[in-house]
Amino acid sequence: MEKNIYAYKCRRCGHVQYPYRTICRNCHENDHNEFDIVPLSKKGKLITFTHLFNPPSDFETVFLTLGIVELDDGNRVTCQLNIPKPKMGMKVTGKVEVVRKDEYNKYHGFVFYED
Amino acid sequence: MREVYVAGIGITSFTRLEYPLVEIAAYPGLMAMKESGIKSIDQLYVANMGASKANHQTGLASAVVDHMSLTPAGAEAIENGPASGASAIKQGFLGVASGMYNTVMVIGAERMREVNNLEATDFVATLTHPLAEYIYGVTLPSLAGMFARLYMEKYGVTPRHFAMVAVKNHKHAMDNFYAHLHEEITLEGILDSKDSATNNPMVADPLRYYDMCPVSDGGACLILATAEIAKKTGKPMVRLAGIGQATDTHAVHDRKNPTDLLAVREAAKKSFAMAGVKPKDVHVAELHDAFTILEIVESEEVGFFEKGQGHIALQEGYTKLGGKLPINPSGGLKAKGHPVGATGVGQAHEIVLQLRGDAAKRQVKNAKIGFTCNFGGFGNNVVCLTFVKEN
Repeated sequence: MEKNIYAYKCRRCGHVQYPYRTICRNCHENDHNEFDIVPLSKKGKLITFTHLFNPPSDFETVFLTLGIVELDDGNRVTCQLNIPKPKMGMKVTGKVEVVRKDEYNKYHGFVFYED
Repeated sequence: MREVYVAGIGITSFTRLEYPLVEIAAYPGLMAMKESGIKSIDQLYVANMGASKANHQTGLASAVVDHMSLTPAGAEAIENGPASGASAIKQGFLGVASGMYNTVMVIGAERMREVNNLEATDFVATLTHPLAEYIYGVTLPSLAGMFARLYMEKYGVTPRHFAMVAVKNHKHAMDNFYAHLHEEITLEGILDSKDSATNNPMVADPLRYYDMCPVSDGGACLILATAEIAKKTGKPMVRLAGIGQATDTHAVHDRKNPTDLLAVREAAKKSFAMAGVKPKDVHVAELHDAFTILEIVESEEVGFFEKGQGHIALQEGYTKLGGKLPINPSGGLKAKGHPVGATGVGQAHEIVLQLRGDAAKRQVKNAKIGFTCNFGGFGNNVVCLTFVKEN
């Protein structure tokens, strides 16, 4: 099954929020469980990025490329980039992969590639 | 509400300190008690962020209050990320203003150098959103790098402007005995020389080594009290006149306009309104320059300059010592240092020193109104303070 990152759609007003918060940021009207879980789009454009040359010690890479992507559905996500020479505004496509692991866990998240 | 005054101040060097966290907290407290002649307090607030992670210690306030033999005064630790310091000052203000306490000691203390730089950066990074940011390897420098890139694109700020902040604040710190970095740098040295690739390497593109604050240990203290008690100290009367706090989304990507720091704007507005002054009335300011870009942006968001004009003011020397509005005469977080939980108290310490006229070589002439901006998270929790000197 294809992996997704999910956002939370308010059943009262339809606003989609990512990450999750208990009350809808738009209408403030819903109960904490009145959300539908919807997958985030995997296409978008790169808003900004950085090459981080001192990544946290549990990363085994010399540097880590991080970015913020605005998805086609209008949501924004923070993510890793697998793009050697990123440019602001470029079209990107995301995959859900293991982005971090420690002794006990693997964490899945968005990794974006050039279109 | 009663009016609240600063009755005593104290500070340690911001550097690597080879003594335990409780002592880093106690020494500035003792300095403040000595200079004010105050021997007992009603309440102690200790601002700290990393004790449980970096120093394996909890219940810090109880340890400090006993270490200073101030029991049975009330004591609480305040943790609000890098804005812990100003948050603790806010609590102290509320205690005195409400009439519940007459004398409150506010201490900020941090011992980050007990762990290595990567671990220190990681414990600060735990304030980012656990699922939407932290798992990707996001650290505060990386958020600053992404933010700086957007700012460059939108407002024409360049890495040269970032370096100008570093050069200015390093220069200011030369006259601050308590600063972490006593190292004068030049634009040529860190940007143009053939050595710049090694002495100023890229950390979070486009931000380099000299765009980042150091990892510091340090402590600072303010004793807040009623007018009656403050008068007895014989020091110039510095009133804590305005406090503003505001919050913003936890995840940085969630903000409508990614180049705005709305919490800074809102906190500053509230602080000025409460004090009854305008940004143009301020004589001296300490802004939270954990990254050089932040000094530029905060100087705009708090209302000193129009949006997009901060780097021009910087370039024209408006914000250096001797300029029209000196920013970070202490050296700022950039060069004075950034012991995270203590920083907000350290900023207030500098402003009180300036308003008293005790800042020696880095004194801003005739400073009567001072301002601090203590920036928590990547702008998700900001506390701004306005101090006024009374005759």
